[in-house]
Amino acid sequence: MSTPLVVVLTVVAVALAGVGALSTVLRRRIGTAHLAVAGVLELLLVVQGVLAVVRLVGGHRPAELTTFAAYLGSVVLLPIAGVLWARTEPTRWAGTVLGVAALTVAVMLWRLVDLWAVTGG
Amino acid sequence: MADSPLGGPAPEPTGTDTARGPGRVLVAVYGVFALAAGARAVVQLAVQFDEAPVAYLLSAVAAVVYLVATVGLARGGRSGRRTAMAACGVELAGVLVVGTLSLLDPAAFPDATVWSGFGQGYGYVPLVLPVLGLLWLRHLAELDATQGRPGPG
Repeated sequence: MSTPLVVVLTVVAVALAGVGALSTVLRRRIGTAHLAVAGVLELLLVVQGVLAVVRLVGGHRPAELTTFAAYLGSVVLLPIAGVLWARTEPTRWAGTVLGVAALTVAVMLWRLVDLWAVTGG
Repeated sequence: MADSPLGGPAPEPTGTDTARGPGRVLVAVYGVFALAAGARAVVQLAVQFDEAPVAYLLSAVAAVVYLVATVGLARGGRSGRRTAMAACGVELAGVLVVGTLSLLDPAAFPDATVWSGFGQGYGYVPLVLPVLGLLWLRHLAELDATQGRPGPG
């Protein structure tokens, strides 16, 4: 896990939650701004996931490997699930739904960093 | 305005569907907690049950309650609402009782559960969530009453 990349990912995730909250406050549906930020988030998550898998194959072994793998897989799917579910919500709450997914991504990333650091045992 | 990057104007939520409008936000948060607590409980029970059986069984119970609440809110209707109401009630009681016990007798909870310290390990979301759930359900029931509907069939 690259901590600088996780910091960047966290900023993007919080930004997504921010535009989500903004559209709810302004009584709007989600638009291209949400999709663009969610796209950037997803792209970076995939990069981060590939880097982690490469290092796992290279021999890095987190102590709780199963939990780590489950988190790594889920975190990549979350923005997609969030966008799909927000798009079917016609009211201003679509942005907040997307924000929930984004904040969950941020929390899970830091949990991944913790899991990654504890090896052996 | 339809091309605004923030999206076009949104209609206000209509009807009394439990999973529409703010309800969908609740279902999303409940879903996240059901998944997270469920996965964690499975790992704890399978790998390290002997270390803290009370805490791990409580985690499993909490996971089931979150799952029931998620399904109840997502399905809606009369039975869905009743289910969600019961699950939110159990959840609120659980977080209050376990939160209090975990402060009075920390030795009984060597490994934290979702509800320890009133959910402080999870940003107190476990404490706030059942309250929001119950308020949402009450709001829908009031809407039904003012619109002269007998409630969802």
